[in-house]
Amino acid sequence: MAEAGDIIIGIDLGTTNSLVGYSDDSGPRLIPGPAADDDVILPSVVAFHEDGGVTVGHEARAHAVERPLTTIYSIKRLMGKGIADLKDDAARLPYRLAQPDDDTEQRDVAAVVVNDRCYTPPEISAMILRELKVRAERHFGRSVSRAVITVPAHFDDAQRQATRDAGQIAGLDVARIVNEPTVAALAYGLDRTEHATIAVYDLGGGTFDISILRLEEGVFEVLATNGDTHLGGDDFDHTLIDLYSREIREQFGIEIATPTIKQQLRTLSENIKKRLSDQDTARVEIAIGPDKVYRRTITREEFEKMIEPLVGRTILACSRAMKAAELIPEQINEVVLVGGSTRVPYVRQRVAEVFRCRPYTALDPEQVVAIGAAVQASILGGANRDVLLLDVTPLSLGIETLGGAMGKLMSANVRIPCQATETFTTFQDGQTAVKINVLQGERELARDCRSLGVFELQNIPPMPAGIPKIDVTFLIDQNGILNVSAREQRSGKTASVQIIPSHGLTREEVRHMQEEAIKYAREDMTAHHLIDVRAAVEFDLNKAEQMIERYGHLIDDAKRRSLTAAIADLRAFARQTDDPVALNERREVFNRSTTSLAERAMTATLQVDDTDEPESAAKQSSPQDASSPSTT
Amino acid sequence: MSCTESTVPVKCLKCQAELASPIVCTGCRTLYPPPQSADYFDLLGLQRNYVIDESQLTAAVRAISRKIHPDRFADQPPEMRKLATRLSAEVNQAMTVLKDPVQRAAYMLELAGGPSAAEVRDVPGDLLAEVMVLREQIDEAQSSQDAQVVEQMRSSIQARRAQALEQIASRADQLAAHSDEDKKEFRRLLNSLKYFDNLLEQVAADPLARASGADNG
Repeated sequence: MAEAGDIIIGIDLGTTNSLVGYSDDSGPRLIPGPAADDDVILPSVVAFHEDGGVTVGHEARAHAVERPLTTIYSIKRLMGKGIADLKDDAARLPYRLAQPDDDTEQRDVAAVVVNDRCYTPPEISAMILRELKVRAERHFGRSVSRAVITVPAHFDDAQRQATRDAGQIAGLDVARIVNEPTVAALAYGLDRTEHATIAVYDLGGGTFDISILRLEEGVFEVLATNGDTHLGGDDFDHTLIDLYSREIREQFGIEIATPTIKQQLRTLSENIKKRLSDQDTARVEIAIGPDKVYRRTITREEFEKMIEPLVGRTILACSRAMKAAELIPEQINEVVLVGGSTRVPYVRQRVAEVFRCRPYTALDPEQVVAIGAAVQASILGGANRDVLLLDVTPLSLGIETLGGAMGKLMSANVRIPCQATETFTTFQDGQTAVKINVLQGERELARDCRSLGVFELQNIPPMPAGIPKIDVTFLIDQNGILNVSAREQRSGKTASVQIIPSHGLTREEVRHMQEEAIKYAREDMTAHHLIDVRAAVEFDLNKAEQMIERYGHLIDDAKRRSLTAAIADLRAFARQTDDPVALNERREVFNRSTTSLAERAMTATLQVDDTDEPESAAKQSSPQDASSPSTT
Repeated sequence: MSCTESTVPVKCLKCQAELASPIVCTGCRTLYPPPQSADYFDLLGLQRNYVIDESQLTAAVRAISRKIHPDRFADQPPEMRKLATRLSAEVNQAMTVLKDPVQRAAYMLELAGGPSAAEVRDVPGDLLAEVMVLREQIDEAQSSQDAQVVEQMRSSIQARRAQALEQIASRADQLAAHSDEDKKEFRRLLNSLKYFDNLLEQVAADPLARASGADNG
C-alpha cells in the first residue's frame, strides 16, 4: 500500500464514459460511485443548472433531452480543437459552440456557451475529473492529488496539452498522460509471461486507435500506432440520425432543428445501435406532431451498410499500422478489443478478417483502459518495478520551411522520449527574434499539417543577418508532449522561447481557470455540506417533535411551549440560511435544549421496558446514536 | 555529480560497480549525463561494427530503458526526471539510427569525420544516366499496364539498391583509415540510395492507381 499522500489514481477520461481506479497489493481496481446502486462508470456528461450548480454523470445524462442547451456531452471531441475544426459537429450538437472573445487571429480555441458563459473544453473536462477525484477521495477518506490520465494514442500535442490542462484545472497533478491502447495492453498482458505480439483495436465513443505492441519480459513496446481522433460510436449514431432526418424531411416536409429533438434523436439512435448488436431488426417511432408519426424498421444489414465506410476507415488504419510495424497478420498473436463500440458485431467481423484471427474479448471493453491506467499509476508509484511501457509518437513533427513545406524533424512511430535539434539564424541585420511554426502531421505542405503553435525565439543579440546560430531542441517527452528549448551557440546562453499555442491555452489562462474552479469547488462543497446539515436538522427536529408528542407531559407547559417555538425557529432558519456552519451551530444549541426532555423520555422508556421487553431499549437508542455524528 | 565530460566513466561513482553503459549504473540506478566522447554504440554498450544483430540491439535498449525511463523516476526531483527524459531520448535516438542500415552507415561516416549530405551532394559518376534509363523503363512498363512487367521492374531496382547498400556495408567498418576521397565516395553511395527509393516509389504508387482506374472505366 502506498504511503499517505502518495496515492496516484488512474483515470480513463472517455468521450462517453469516465472511470477512476487505483492499484494496491491485490492489483488494480475501479472505484464505484457513492450511492449504493452506483457502478464504476461515470457518464462524461456535465449538466448546468439555472442556480449555477453543476452535476456530472448519470443524473446529468438523464436530463439531456429536457435541457439540451445546458447538458454537455462528448466534450472530448472538442479538446484541443478550434471552431474551424468543428463545423460538422456544430451542426449536430444541441449545445452551442463559440470562440472566446479574446482569441486572436493566430489562435482558434473552441468553447461551449452555457447560460451566456463560455467554457473551454478543458474546463468542462475538469468538472468530470473533479467528480472522479472526489469519488476517489471519498473512497480513501483523504485527499488525492496525483493522477494518470489516458488519451487516445492518436491525440496530437494540442489535445494532450488540453487534457493535462483539464487535470490541472481540476486540482490534479497529472503524473502522466498515457495512451489508451497502450494501457489496455498493460491490463491484458500483466499476468502473462510468454512473449507475444498483440494488436489493440480501440474504438470508443469518439476516437479510434490501433496499436501494435511487443510484450517481452514485462516490457510493453509499442511498435506502431495509427488512428483517427474523430471517429467512433458517435459517428455510428450520426448515420442513423441523418437517416431519420432525411426521411422525416421527405415524408413530412419537416426540418429537424430544435435542440430537444436533436437530443431525442441522439438518445434514440444510441439505443437502436445497441439493440442491433443483439437483434436483427429494431423498430423506430418518432412522434413529430399531432397525427404525425415517423415509423421505421431498421435491419442490422441496413445498419451495417451505413457504417461500412466508417468501419472501413478503421480497417485501413489497421493495415497501415501493420505496415509501419513491418508485420503481417500471421505474426500477430492476438487482437484485443477495447471500447464500447467494439460490441458491434460488424466491427468484430471486420477486425477478425483483417487480422485473420478471432479477437480477444474476455476483458470488459469499457473498463480495460481504466484498469490499465491504475496499473500505470502503480508503476509510477514504484510498486511495480518489473513492468514498463515504451510508447511511440503517433505523428511526425516538423517545422514550416521558407517555401511553406513541412520540414520533418521526427517521424511518426518513433519511440518517445525523443528529440531533434535544429539550428536557426536571422534573415535581417539586427533581427532579435525568430518565429518558428511547429507542425504535426504526415502531409508535405505546412498548411495541410496541424500547427501546434508559433514558437518565438527572443532576445537574440543584434548581429548581421545569418550570424546568430540558435540551436533549438524539440523534445517529445514520455507523455507525447512537446518541450522546446533554445541556446545561442556563440554565447551559450539559453534563449527564451515564447509559445503562442494555435489551439490551446496559455499557462496563465490555465492557472486562472484553476483558481476559478477552486472557487466553484468551494461553493459546491458548501452547497453539498448545506444539504447534509439540513438533513441532519430535519432529522433532529422530527425526533424532538415525536418526543414532545409522546413524552411532553413529563415537562411543564412553559418548557414545552419554548421547545415548540425553538423547533419552528430552527426549521425557518434552516430554510432561509445558506451557511452550513451557522446552521450546524444552531442545531447543536437546539439539541442541548432538548437533552432534559430526552433524558426524561429515556427514563420513561426504560421504566416501561423493564416491565415489558428488555431488548427494545437497545432499539430505541440506536437512532439517537446515529443522529449526532452525521454532520461531522 | 562532477563526472568528467570528456571521458567515459568506467565505474559507477556511487557504488563502484562496472558500468555497462556510460549513462546509467544498472546496479544502483544512478544516472550520468552522456559524456561528449560517447557515441551511440557506447551508449548502448555495443561494439562499433556495421553489422549489427538486431535482437541484441533491441535487448540492449530494453535493458537500459528499464533503468532510465522517466517513469522509473516519477518520485524523484524534477532535475532527475528531466535527466531521465533526456537520456531516454538519446538512447531512443541511438536505437533509431543504429537499427536502420542507411542511417547507421551515415552515422559511421560522421564518426569517421566524413562529409555531410550538405557538403557532398552528388552521386557516383554513372548513376544519373542509369536513373534516367530506369525512369523511362518504368514509364514504359506502366503504360503497358502489364502487372508482371511492372513487378519485374520493381525487383530489378530493388536489387540495384541492395547492391549499393552492399558496397556501403563492405566499406563502413574501415572508414577511419580511408582517404578523404574515399569518404566522399562513401557519401555519394549513400546519396544514391535516395534515387533508388524515389524510383521504387514511382513504381509502387502509380500503376496500381492507373490499373484500377482502367478497370473501372
